[in-house]
Amino acid sequence: MEKQEFKIKWGMVIDLDKCTGCGACMVSCQVENNIAPQQDASNKLRTLTWMNVFEMNNGQAFPDHEIAYLPRPCMQCGSPACVPVCPVVATDKNEEGGIVSQIYPRCIGCRYCMGACPYHARYFNWDDPVFPAGMEKTLSPNTSARPRGVVEKCSFCHTRWGRAKERARKEGVDTMDMPQEWYQTACTTACPGGVIQFGDVNNPKHSVYELVRSKYAFRLLERLGLDPQVWYVSKREWVRMLGDNYLESEKAKKHA
Amino acid sequence: MGLDRRAFVQLAVGGVVGTLFTPIPWKLADDAAIWSQNWPWIAKVTKGEIAFKNAISKFCPSGCAVSVRTVEGAPTLVQGSKDNPLSQGGVCPACAAGAQLLYSPARVKGPMKKTQAGFEPITWDEALTTLSAKLSAVKGKDGKVAMVSGDQTGTTSEVFSAFVAALGSQDFYLMPSEGQVAGKAWSIMGGTGKVGFDLKNADFVLLVGADAFESWGPMVRNKKTFGSKRPVGQPNQATYVYAGPVRNRTAAVCDQYVPVPADSLTAFALGLAAQLVQAGKSIDTADFADFKAMLGNFSADKVEKLSGVKAAVLADLAKKLASAKAPLVIAGSPFGQGEGAATFIAGAAVNLLLGQVNKPGGMKVFADFAPVVKGAATAKKLTEASFADYLSKVEKGKASPEVLLVYEANPAYGLPQAEAMSKVMEKIPFVVSFSTFLDETAQKAQLILPNPHPLERLDDLATPYGYSRAAYLVSLPVIKPVADAKPTPDLILGLAAKLGLDLGFSTYQDVLKAKTEAVGASWGDVSKGKLFASDVTKDVSGLNLATAVLAKAAIPNRDPAYPLALAPLAQLNVGTSALATAPQALVTIRDTELLGNDMFVQVCAETAKANGLSQGAKVKLTSSQGECVARVNVSETVMPGTVAAPLGFGRTAWDKFTRGKGDNLSKVLALSPEPGTNVSVWSDTRVKIAKI
Amino acid sequence: MEEKKTSSQSGGALPFILGLLAALAVGWWMFPKALFSESHQPIRFSHKVHAEQGMACDDCHKMRDDGSYAGLPNNEKCGECHSDVVGSDPAEKKFVEEYIQKSKEVPWIIYQNQPDNVYFTHSAHQAQECTECHPKMTDNDSPPVARINKITGYTERTLKMWQCERCHAENGVSNACYVCHK
Repeated sequence: MEKQEFKIKWGMVIDLDKCTGCGACMVSCQVENNIAPQQDASNKLRTLTWMNVFEMNNGQAFPDHEIAYLPRPCMQCGSPACVPVCPVVATDKNEEGGIVSQIYPRCIGCRYCMGACPYHARYFNWDDPVFPAGMEKTLSPNTSARPRGVVEKCSFCHTRWGRAKERARKEGVDTMDMPQEWYQTACTTACPGGVIQFGDVNNPKHSVYELVRSKYAFRLLERLGLDPQVWYVSKREWVRMLGDNYLESEKAKKHA
Repeated sequence: MGLDRRAFVQLAVGGVVGTLFTPIPWKLADDAAIWSQNWPWIAKVTKGEIAFKNAISKFCPSGCAVSVRTVEGAPTLVQGSKDNPLSQGGVCPACAAGAQLLYSPARVKGPMKKTQAGFEPITWDEALTTLSAKLSAVKGKDGKVAMVSGDQTGTTSEVFSAFVAALGSQDFYLMPSEGQVAGKAWSIMGGTGKVGFDLKNADFVLLVGADAFESWGPMVRNKKTFGSKRPVGQPNQATYVYAGPVRNRTAAVCDQYVPVPADSLTAFALGLAAQLVQAGKSIDTADFADFKAMLGNFSADKVEKLSGVKAAVLADLAKKLASAKAPLVIAGSPFGQGEGAATFIAGAAVNLLLGQVNKPGGMKVFADFAPVVKGAATAKKLTEASFADYLSKVEKGKASPEVLLVYEANPAYGLPQAEAMSKVMEKIPFVVSFSTFLDETAQKAQLILPNPHPLERLDDLATPYGYSRAAYLVSLPVIKPVADAKPTPDLILGLAAKLGLDLGFSTYQDVLKAKTEAVGASWGDVSKGKLFASDVTKDVSGLNLATAVLAKAAIPNRDPAYPLALAPLAQLNVGTSALATAPQALVTIRDTELLGNDMFVQVCAETAKANGLSQGAKVKLTSSQGECVARVNVSETVMPGTVAAPLGFGRTAWDKFTRGKGDNLSKVLALSPEPGTNVSVWSDTRVKIAKI
Repeated sequence: MEEKKTSSQSGGALPFILGLLAALAVGWWMFPKALFSESHQPIRFSHKVHAEQGMACDDCHKMRDDGSYAGLPNNEKCGECHSDVVGSDPAEKKFVEEYIQKSKEVPWIIYQNQPDNVYFTHSAHQAQECTECHPKMTDNDSPPVARINKITGYTERTLKMWQCERCHAENGVSNACYVCHK
């Protein structure tokens, strides 16, 4: 598939040296995307966590054992592995901004995309979304509720972009060059540590423009060439090394 | 001409062919597809006008200053309030689920009384008549009514303490908190006013036990400050060091982690003080000579023996503190409660040695806001009253209350030695719970008078412990109560009037308006979410260093019958004692923390080996006071000789999302009096672990 | 030999044609009637009367400050004039007494309700005439009957995806999924 370039490229930069794994981003994501609570959320094969915080460590014993937390949204890859495998074009990367779309009414639940995604960013709805009585009155207006049998994933809260564009039109601001804070994902705003930054990595006025060019920035499994739009930053070499899946036999000492 | 078979077939074929030229098959197929997209049991999302309203959310102990997104007036998302210095747009994981908690299945739907058959809904009239009869029977009798509140920051405490006092009792208590112990410790040092910590201007921060990014102080503010001092990809503007028994979430992002057992935090801080004194630092207090002499017992070598912290590490840390421009030491509990006064005092002594009191980036002392309700307990008094101690008195028959009122607190679940405490509460004939949710305490109560959810009520927040300035904020209701709940402070003011007690106010709004005025803030500002904050500091002359207390309390007391130290973990995504895990927060709990109905305790490989434990093994933790069961997760984040375990599981009330999952660690926490102060301590609980 | 029956003996192509015509009649005439139910607005709102007072469309159907579209006005807006009965129309009296005075919003039928998975933004379509999608209401003394599809629950007028796509294609606007879906 030919790679498409867009004028706007929504990107996320996550500073792993600040994340304490508190879970505020995950909770806000659940709320903003109308993910119904499950009674047993410890069965991680059934939970829907568009934003998921993983715990990583450097493999050492106490007291040299260091830990880091890795928030994992959808990477919105430049060359997504999930898109070409979809038999019904329910997922696509064709919109300005480069967010990989997922259209629930069209999805037939074959889950090829889940198999293709190396980041496990996609989730299958095993159950219908059931909210405790009354809780549906608190649903977010930004994401439709999905029935069972379809695949879903992080969308960078793209409806918020739509709302930001409405504001821009109202205020006479160019929709292609909006202030960064007008469009922020739910996880970004929720984070109490300022760990996540979000913006247009092609726009020099947005903070992420510089950050993705930092020498500490890396992306997950970069060697696969999927060109993710989520960058991680860490000054810790072992954290950066974990960003790619180096084999025991590889003599890599530094992350690319 | 009859219709024979052939003609009939022709007619039918004509019909079929004709149908193909009508919309019937095509329209039906299309409509059926659309119909299948809208199953009636799939919830419809909200539509309409979006607005944002500032409020206070008190699901976390410090309270979050939040901005609530409403759609046609209904809350749909709780975010941090951007312009508020306490949140700066961030929100804690407990408050983030707040809008959905409006419809928590555990919500108390209306007033209820306990009968033989369980709880029975009653009218507010009946509820209030019953309560007022009970109270009028004990009015004027000393010690017959008691009240406990979990609201650490609100003016509710004034209303309640004044009410209890007017009824002739002195027994108003706050649930145990970090701020309470700090206040008590500060009083022991001869200090007045309130203590805060100026993280924002500090360039070297040493956290002694204090889990600043999870359970100590205003967590969101602390994390935002940390984030702002560590610009992405650029040199750090501040160094953070964590000292404690577990490389917890806070330690995970600190520059340095120093393993210190929970019972040696005081000794560790005194070790630093000894190093600083050796380097020529001093404090201008009358008892400094005694203090200096006492520090002889806390030389680097001796501290190494007590705590295991290498002498070189201690010396290096002291050097770093001394050479920093604005160093700051924050000493506290690794899980937000149960630490003794000595740890705080030792931490304060180090700050004093560093000259970091009322300086940028140092410890700040400022005046507390004066109470406005007539007869209300002073802040100092509230720090001295311990509810756990009170229940111990009840157990021993030294106190015999007839009525216990419980506001926003869950002592039956959350106090140390929870099982025993819960039994003691059964000795009190009439317990009234004002809980929003059906928690463990409400379930034990004779009467439940539900208080509105934080987004449904008028509330305020005065200087959360740890914040560096005196601050004040008011919150107006975002939505009318969606359950039949009535605000407790208004009920209490109404009851007071009915019982002929004069508290000087008839509505809680009047109280808060008076408070706002007394604080010197503007109602128009603070009620719209604009934080009032004062930078005025208070003189700190006349302090003492409580040398006698430190000398006694700093030496750990380890019962060999319980070979392991217990390190409880307080994590806001799991909840607090007053809030079981919110439905939307369940997914944040890893399957190495909770799997099915089993919770996990964590030990390092060395401890696991020494105790014959392997990953997933089912174990029982036993302390001198109680036991709980769990599975083992081998994690190298925990010191050898320590077992880390989560608080917040093992619910027996609440809802299907939390009930029966894991076990309640509070049952294991064991109270002991701190030598020298008699403050009840449970951060040094020791346990044994056995496979089952 | 037995007599061989021919088709002409059974009436030739006549039964086929009859069947065909009957099917066409059912399909084009009865089916649409059977498929849609007819609903009336709870209040007979007259756009004409309001237009005659000199009111502009966007006095009520306005863009909010955040750039979103308010759609139908609520009681608060209507109550600006109708806090009490101001005219002699019984519909207005009903509206004031049953909704405004009881603080109850009118359950208006929306002719163009879109599914939850559609994110339609009016602000991006301001160059279009309202009437390209909505019925012209200015001269309307009674609101049109809402014909609601019994299977889908949407009105007959509700735009279908192909209509959105065609207009986007014709105007050179992206038809990417996330342009319209949520």
